[in-house]
Amino acid sequence: MKIPRLTTLVSILVLVVLALFPVIGVPGNWLNYLFSFFIYLALANMWNLLAGYTGLICLCPHAFVGLAGYTLAIGTWVGVPFQIGLIAGAAVAALFALVISYPVFRMKGIYFAIGTLILPEALKAWFSFWRPVGNVYQGMGAGYSVAGVAGFTLVDRYWLALAIAAASIFLVYIILRARLGLGLTAIRDNEYTAASSGVNIFRLKLSSFLIAAFIMGLAGAAYYIHNPRINPVGGFSISWLLLPLMATVIGGEGSEEGPIIGAAVVTFLRFLLADYGAWSLFIQGIILVIVVVTMPQGIAGLLRQVGAYRFPQKLFQLAEGKIHKT
Amino acid sequence: MSETAVLSIDRVNKRFGGILALQDLSFEVQAGEVLGLMGPNGAGKTTLLNIIAGTYSPSSGRVNFCGRDITGLPAHKLCHLGIARTYQIPQPFTSLSARQNILVAAKYGGKRGDTLELDEILDLVDLLKQKDTIAGDLATVSLKKLELARALASNPTLILLDEIAAGSTEAELPRILGMIEEIRKMGKTVVLVEHVMKVMVEAVDRIIVIDKGEKIAEGTPGEVMEDEKVIAAYFG
Repeated sequence: MKIPRLTTLVSILVLVVLALFPVIGVPGNWLNYLFSFFIYLALANMWNLLAGYTGLICLCPHAFVGLAGYTLAIGTWVGVPFQIGLIAGAAVAALFALVISYPVFRMKGIYFAIGTLILPEALKAWFSFWRPVGNVYQGMGAGYSVAGVAGFTLVDRYWLALAIAAASIFLVYIILRARLGLGLTAIRDNEYTAASSGVNIFRLKLSSFLIAAFIMGLAGAAYYIHNPRINPVGGFSISWLLLPLMATVIGGEGSEEGPIIGAAVVTFLRFLLADYGAWSLFIQGIILVIVVVTMPQGIAGLLRQVGAYRFPQKLFQLAEGKIHKT
Repeated sequence: MSETAVLSIDRVNKRFGGILALQDLSFEVQAGEVLGLMGPNGAGKTTLLNIIAGTYSPSSGRVNFCGRDITGLPAHKLCHLGIARTYQIPQPFTSLSARQNILVAAKYGGKRGDTLELDEILDLVDLLKQKDTIAGDLATVSLKKLELARALASNPTLILLDEIAAGSTEAELPRILGMIEEIRKMGKTVVLVEHVMKVMVEAVDRIIVIDKGEKIAEGTPGEVMEDEKVIAAYFG
């Protein structure tokens, strides 16, 4: 039998320890923090797949999150179990991505970014008036609560979010080592050369866009299982864009560990600054500016620059050598 | 159109706004031929390559490749059919290594016949030692060679070389001529745009001279150099 790589073993170990957290009695508010971290991590990972590896500055994650949340919520009102609503929400987000792909992919660079930015605004307006089921709305726009999730405990929700985050990391890992990852990097580096080397740019961008929309939808729906109340302002809030964007840029765009580091920083800041209201955004903005100016490759880039990975890498190689000898 | 023609350009026009970049251009390239395209700056040579490779579509006229109408097909399709190109100003994938650069073309360029091993291609263009160097760190001369390697990696029938020798020193020219000769020996058809006369005279079978988007002369290198219209176009 082939001995698995040590890095794989360590990743699995971390995953198992995180999965055991609720069982070994980690307090509930910790699980809450980690839940947010996992959701932000999944969003940031997908944003990084688009911006860092495909060259798509996608400014509409809130469209995917909101659509998935609304699909889930409205579904539970007509008797669809939330487990199916979760998948359906992600599927609707991906379907929306497919529908908009043709017009938005005709735009490049900054125009693509602006083109995607207006979509969630349009959806927000639409969902403020459109109320397919239930009574005429009272307050809070066309809000819906997510029905039938009371039995799904915090521990269950924690595991769900952990699974989504782990899946997003694994997915990016697989994509980058497959033919698709090579093609995406080629597109990001130079679209003309990619096309004349036989890369079907539209198809590859679309694959990446659909994958990202699906996982972002999954993360969004999971969030609304955890906070079972959605309204247009919250569901299509620009925070759903800013969180993954900040996490990716602070952590390091175009690196695999970047969004993980960044999501941790963003989650930490969010809870640390939760009591300061508008100041919180102001402070996060300043931090973002400082990061962009002082470390353009993010924290991951800085770590690489100072050679922080060298020691653990050596250690791993040594250990692996020892294991293989015995 | 004759049966052996790999590429046939039929009354192609290309208009950019008010400027007619190519006017009623027609010619054929036979299988295994090395054809040189010559002309003063702005004559329309690169525009023509862009039309053949699918970066632009012509305003009117037809382009046939191996007996098939390819007018207006997108670049990646043409690559799959067997047309590869190099860029005048090297356009590498800057974050990928030299080997990965050509791996993209090998993996996505379509699977026609026996493709050369990547290392063989790298060896052919003298880049084997630098195969793990990130393209963004390569010198311009190496990037020119990388362009050639990438074009070969998709195993094309027709290869378009846009000023592959430009910027090279006199000492490097024989090596570049050698590379073109090797490509010819592989049985590939070559269309070559070049300003370096030595390359034109020694590497090509036939030259077509374009001026202001029109074909003004056609023939062997010797014939073309003596043509009065060509001398007039270059020296006024």
